Amino acid sequence: MQRVIDERGSILATSTPIAGAFPSPYEIETPPGCEGWEEMYPYYAVFDEARRDADEKRFWFWNSMHFPVPMPAFDVQCIDSPYQAVGAWQNRVFAVPPAMGIDYRIVNGYVYISGNPVTDPEKMAERAEFFQRRASYYFENWSELYEQWKSRVRALIDEVTNLPVPDLPEYEPDEVMEGERNTAFVDVLDSYQRCLRLGDLMWQRHFEFLLLGYGAYATFADHCKANLPDIPDQHIAQMVAGIDVLLFRPDAELRRLARLAIDTGVDDAFVEGRTPEEIDAALEQSDAGRKWLEDLQQVKDPWFNMATGDGLYHYYRSWLDDPSIPYASLIGHINALKAGEQIDRPTEEIQRERDRLAEEYGSLLDEGARQTFNELLGLSRTVFPYVEEHKFFCDYWFLTRWWNKLREFGELLARNGFLNDAEDIFQLGRHEVMSALDELVLCWATGGAPRGPSFWPPIVERRKELLARLGDWTPPPALGVAPEVVTDPMTIMLWGVTTQRVQEWARSQDPAATEVVGAPASPGTIEGPARVIRTIDELADVREGEILVTGSTSPAWAPIFSKIKATVTDVGGVMSHAAIVCREYGLPAVVGTGRATSLIRTGQMIRVDGSAGVVSIVDGGAG
Amino acid sequence: MAAELTRSLADLRQADTDSFGGKSSTLGELIAAEIPVPPGFALSCEAFRLFVEQAGLRGVIAHALERASSGDVDAVNRASHSISEAMHSAPMPAAVRDEVTRHYAELGDVPVAVRSSALGEDSQEATFAGQQETYLWIRGAGQVCDAIRDCWISLYSPPAIAYRARLGEKDEEPAMGVTVQLMVDAEVSGVMFTCNPVSGDPSMVAINASWGLGLAVVGGEVTPDDYLVSKVTREVVRENISSKTVEYVPGEAGTVFLDVPEERRDIPCLDEPRIATLVDVGKRVERYFGSRQDIEWAFARGDGELFVVQSRPVTGIAKPKEEKKPTSAMSLLMSTFGAEKKQ
Repeated sequence: MQRVIDERGSILATSTPIAGAFPSPYEIETPPGCEGWEEMYPYYAVFDEARRDADEKRFWFWNSMHFPVPMPAFDVQCIDSPYQAVGAWQNRVFAVPPAMGIDYRIVNGYVYISGNPVTDPEKMAERAEFFQRRASYYFENWSELYEQWKSRVRALIDEVTNLPVPDLPEYEPDEVMEGERNTAFVDVLDSYQRCLRLGDLMWQRHFEFLLLGYGAYATFADHCKANLPDIPDQHIAQMVAGIDVLLFRPDAELRRLARLAIDTGVDDAFVEGRTPEEIDAALEQSDAGRKWLEDLQQVKDPWFNMATGDGLYHYYRSWLDDPSIPYASLIGHINALKAGEQIDRPTEEIQRERDRLAEEYGSLLDEGARQTFNELLGLSRTVFPYVEEHKFFCDYWFLTRWWNKLREFGELLARNGFLNDAEDIFQLGRHEVMSALDELVLCWATGGAPRGPSFWPPIVERRKELLARLGDWTPPPALGVAPEVVTDPMTIMLWGVTTQRVQEWARSQDPAATEVVGAPASPGTIEGPARVIRTIDELADVREGEILVTGSTSPAWAPIFSKIKATVTDVGGVMSHAAIVCREYGLPAVVGTGRATSLIRTGQMIRVDGSAGVVSIVDGGAG
Repeated sequence: MAAELTRSLADLRQADTDSFGGKSSTLGELIAAEIPVPPGFALSCEAFRLFVEQAGLRGVIAHALERASSGDVDAVNRASHSISEAMHSAPMPAAVRDEVTRHYAELGDVPVAVRSSALGEDSQEATFAGQQETYLWIRGAGQVCDAIRDCWISLYSPPAIAYRARLGEKDEEPAMGVTVQLMVDAEVSGVMFTCNPVSGDPSMVAINASWGLGLAVVGGEVTPDDYLVSKVTREVVRENISSKTVEYVPGEAGTVFLDVPEERRDIPCLDEPRIATLVDVGKRVERYFGSRQDIEWAFARGDGELFVVQSRPVTGIAKPKEEKKPTSAMSLLMSTFGAEKKQ
């Protein structure tokens, strides 16, 4: 039996694991028509009988923060590679004493994860030695290491952007004869493998600093709460959050361009409902318009390397690929400016408030606690640029380029009849793509007839149908046995899955529930109609005055934040993007509810209490 | 030089506690700190002593207490009764009466609150010693003098006698000051702590508020609205709006206890600007005294002006979960990752 202390420091009911609160992963039924979905995924990614004894007793939670919709076969690379990387750093480099890496399993297309704990005290002591030495090295040299990190990641972005995807020529050029280059079959295979490897290299960098960065913040937050038990989470975040954060730059550039459009009299081109192409065409009509477009061109690299979603799926494109999001934002900013609204981020005010909070909270502590407070705050502020910026470099900039590079391989396969469409490459696993390329270059070399064109397209079609059907299935927030206490520091820090959250999930399994509880992430209470968004395509449906209910959000969604009244997410902590952006926009937010998207339907009136972390369904609405 | 009997509240300071009691001198300090406090005046312990002496009550009191020394309940009650009767019929010294009349006239023939101003610091002790009496909405110099005498009489209430007997102080003559203060016709009133008394969080102000005069909140006769407000940003971190069924309001003589009309019961009795005003005043009082304060306050009906009617140090609050020993930032960081050094 454990006493559970909630975020506010009050003691909840004495808790024991709630037997049967979550279904066994082996009891989950396959939705009708989805039989055989397992064939999309690696053999090791499913709950199989051979591991039943162990897997059934573990606690698995749906990683809806990163994987809100069923996984396309290729996108599994964005599970494997990150979990290879996070495990390598956490378990093999830093040797975090109580936690190894994260296991995953796919159920009906959805990704469930579970940490591997270290429980042997001797082993933990042994690991502690590694951890202390290595973590100290990073913390002591943070700024320098981070600069190095940035140039390494920039190099990876350049390499993936410039990676050639060779075509298969009728006749090889003379350079081959002259010994200056390989034949195309080697180059194609090399290039594809390098593309995969570049993804691995990026993920390796992605996780190099992440645990330590979050850990520094979590330690500061714990210290605040130990001494100031009622301090709102958002105040802790405000004291740490950066001011000149890279992630705010893209929208800042859009605000500047909006102002420029008005100042140079070309704002009439930005009419609600026009496509970006139509707007560009209107701008091309005048000198001032062409001048504005030139200015836009200069901003695009790098600031349009924002993803339209949180990065891990192939269908999250960049603003470069899909300018509708930045253009919608431009229209919004121009309208706001014309209405006389202040649209600039009040950076000076934010800075002043951040320093004032730190000063005032510090002054309320006694001397010993104040010194530790100041040291941890300093450390958190040092690590935080990385915590906020790695998303831009890795998840947005690199990944959108990387997906585009893979599209080029898709084009190669489509040109040769292996796929009906370049985009279909994402319906094949990465090893299947390797296999298809192997056959393609083989038949190119031999001149023989390929099997691929009759083999792959039916598989692709079946998988598209499976993903559509699986998309209608609602995954439970967790599977297996609910733990008494969540102790894994990574699960708590990265996913916000605390003991309290698991208990709430268990309670909310009641199908008649009209309330979900999450972390209070941005204060205020408001009522409004819900808009449940599961995929990026549905973003356009969001209407003025609605409350966004979604798996998790990305900073690239900033444009819709000027329309909505509040945000509710399934997964995420107070440092999640939804929380950060809502605080910026002054919107109430409740994050980490576990199942808001499955309980709440579009059109229902809901009440969001961002101070208490409660979301209630007020009436059934049209849903 | 004759002993000082009364003084304007504005002229009192902490150093006067021994002669005027804690409540009056604290109010003087609050006025000095430019905290909005209703004006008034105070009576010193000397005023009480003069009353006992001039009325020749010492013998009566000693005699009555002699018989109560056994601590027997009936004996104590009888002693209290006879002292109280004697004091009631004793005249107020002319000097005291004159000064009270003069001060009261300066206030402007207004309703006042008459309260005892205890000599002990500890409020628990003061309660047992009978130094917590309050008489509200008193009008006219004669009524004020009667209320002052009632405060004095409370020093010989049965619990006060028993308490002093237990402490072995029966031979020492008790004394107290009295505070007379302009009465605020409160629309809303209540209590605030400049910390969360439950968790011990020093960055919070905890506010209890209800309709009407503060009596209902202090006396626990209503479940007040409960607000926890950040001292740093003045945001309401938590609130609990209760059904406030009853309130005290001024009546013809003293106060009346009424049912709150249906439509006002369940609505919050404080809005954001008033909460912000309270927090600001709370912070100023805390800063002035250099310690966490327990403050009684009221918003006046009509212009809505805020008044502080009392403040005292918070005692017996929970301390935030204390770390066992001073811990460095780095060792806390290591423990986040489960890598604390084994001792």
